[in-house]
Amino acid sequence: MRFARHVAAIAGKDLRAEIRTKEGFNAALAFAVVILILFSFAIDPTSEQMREMSGGLLWIVFAFAGALVLNRSFPRETPNDSLDVLLASPVSPPALLLGKTIANFVILIAIESLCLPLFGILYNMDWTRQPALLAATLLLATWAITVIGTVFSALTVNLRLRELMLPVLIYPMLIPALMAAMKLTTLLIAGAPPEPGDWLWFRLLIGFDIIFTLLAQALVETVLLG
Amino acid sequence: MDDRNFTFLFYGFAAAWGILAAYVVTLASRESNLKRQIENLKRMLEDKETSKS
Amino acid sequence: MPRPILSSALAAAGGLWLIRNLHVVTLQLPDEAAQGAVYRNLFFHVPAWFTCFTAFAFAGLAGIAYIVRKRMVFDTLAVACVEAGVAFTLIGLATGSIWARIIWGIWWTWDARLTWALITCLVYFGYLMLRESLDDPTSRARISAVFSTFAFVSVAITYKSIEWWRTQHPGPVLDFRTGGGQIDKAMQSALYHNWGALMLIAAALVLIRMRQEDSRRELEALRRYVHAQ
Repeated sequence: MRFARHVAAIAGKDLRAEIRTKEGFNAALAFAVVILILFSFAIDPTSEQMREMSGGLLWIVFAFAGALVLNRSFPRETPNDSLDVLLASPVSPPALLLGKTIANFVILIAIESLCLPLFGILYNMDWTRQPALLAATLLLATWAITVIGTVFSALTVNLRLRELMLPVLIYPMLIPALMAAMKLTTLLIAGAPPEPGDWLWFRLLIGFDIIFTLLAQALVETVLLG
Repeated sequence: MDDRNFTFLFYGFAAAWGILAAYVVTLASRESNLKRQIENLKRMLEDKETSKS
Repeated sequence: MPRPILSSALAAAGGLWLIRNLHVVTLQLPDEAAQGAVYRNLFFHVPAWFTCFTAFAFAGLAGIAYIVRKRMVFDTLAVACVEAGVAFTLIGLATGSIWARIIWGIWWTWDARLTWALITCLVYFGYLMLRESLDDPTSRARISAVFSTFAFVSVAITYKSIEWWRTQHPGPVLDFRTGGGQIDKAMQSALYHNWGALMLIAAALVLIRMRQEDSRRELEALRRYVHAQ
C-alpha cells in the first residue's frame, strides 16, 4: 500500500512538472511531427505503399520521440542534488523507478495519441478499423519502451555524452518489442482481423513487458544505491 | 581454377585470422599505453618528491 | 601457476591445436559434395560462434555475480569475456558472410540468425562504449554489471523472437542438436577440435585482458592518489 502511494506521488510529481513546463512534451511532439513530415519527402509513397509501411514509420517516430522524453527522466533530478534527496526520502528505489516509468509512459502515450490522427490526415490513412487492438498494441509497446528507457536513464545519469548514449544503448534491446509492435500496427491499420498466428506478437509484447519490468525492479537498487 | 571456390575459402580463413590478429594488436597497444602512463606517473611522483625536499 | 605463464601456455596449446586442425581440415577432409572447398569456412564459423556464446554467457554470469558479491574480479572477468566475445562474433560474421557470398550469392541477408548476431554485436558494443564513458571504477563496475544482465536477457529474448520472424540460415547439423546422421563423423570431430582450440585461445585472451584491466584500475587509483597529494 505504501509502495503504491509512493509510486503515485513520484508519478504525480513528474507529470505535474511536465504539465507546468511542457518542455519534454513539446520538444518530443515537435520532433515526432518533423519526422512524420520528412518521411513524405523521403519516399513520396502511394497510399497502398503507405499502408504496408505504416507500422514501421509510426514506431520509428515513437521510439525517437520516446528517447527525447526518457533522456530527461533522471537527469532532470541532478541539479540541486534532487536525486540524492529522493533517495534519502522514504521512497524506495523500485517505487521511484516505477513512478517515473508511469510518468514517462503517460507522456509518451499522449504524444502518440496526437501523432496517430495527424498521421491519418497527412497520409490519408484510416487507422480506426481495429481501435481496441491498436490501443492494446500501443499500450504494451509503449510500456516496453518506457520501462527499459527509464531504467537506462537512471543507468546513464552520470555519463558523459548521455544524450547520445541512451538511444545507442536502448534501441538494440528494444528490437523484439519494436518488431512485434511494427508487425501488429501494420496489420491492424490495414484492418484485417488478426489471424491465429498473429497473437504470437501480442504474447511476445506481454512477455517482454513482464520480464523487463521485473528485471528493472530487481536491479534498480544496484543502479541507484550501489 | 576455381571450381572449388578456393578463393573464398582463403578469404574466409584470412578474415578469421586477421580479426584475431587485430584484436591481439589492440591488446598489445593498450599494454604499451598502460606502460607509458605508469612511466609518466612515476616521473610525476619523482618531480613532486624533489620539489618537496 | 602465475597468470602470465598460464595465458602463454594456453595460447601456445591453442595455437598448436589449431595447426593440427588446419592440417586435418585442409589436407585430410574431402570437399563437400555440393559446396566445394569453401565449406571449410564452417570449421571456423561454427566454433567461433560457440566460443562467443560461451564468452557472453560467462560475461552475463560474471555481471550477476558482481551484483551479488560486489567483488572487482567479476567485473574484470566480465569485460574480458565481452571483448573476446565481440572479437569472435566478428569472426563469425565475417566467415559467414564470405561463405554466403558463394553459396547464397549475397554478402548479407536479413535472416533470423544473421540479424540476431548483428543485434548481439551492437548490444555488446554498447557495453564497451558504456564502460569507456565511466571514470569511477566502482560505479563503472556496478553499472556495467547491470547492463550486462539486461544485455544477456535481451539477447536471449531477441533470439527467440527473431526465430519467429523469418529464417534462411541452414539448420543445425551437429549430433547433439539433431540426434545424429546429418554430418560426416570426421567433419564433426574436426569441428569440435577447432572449437577446443579456439576456446583455449579465447581463454588466453581473456586472461591477458583481465591482467590489463587490473593494472588499468591500479593505475587509475595511483593517479588519483598522486593528484590528491
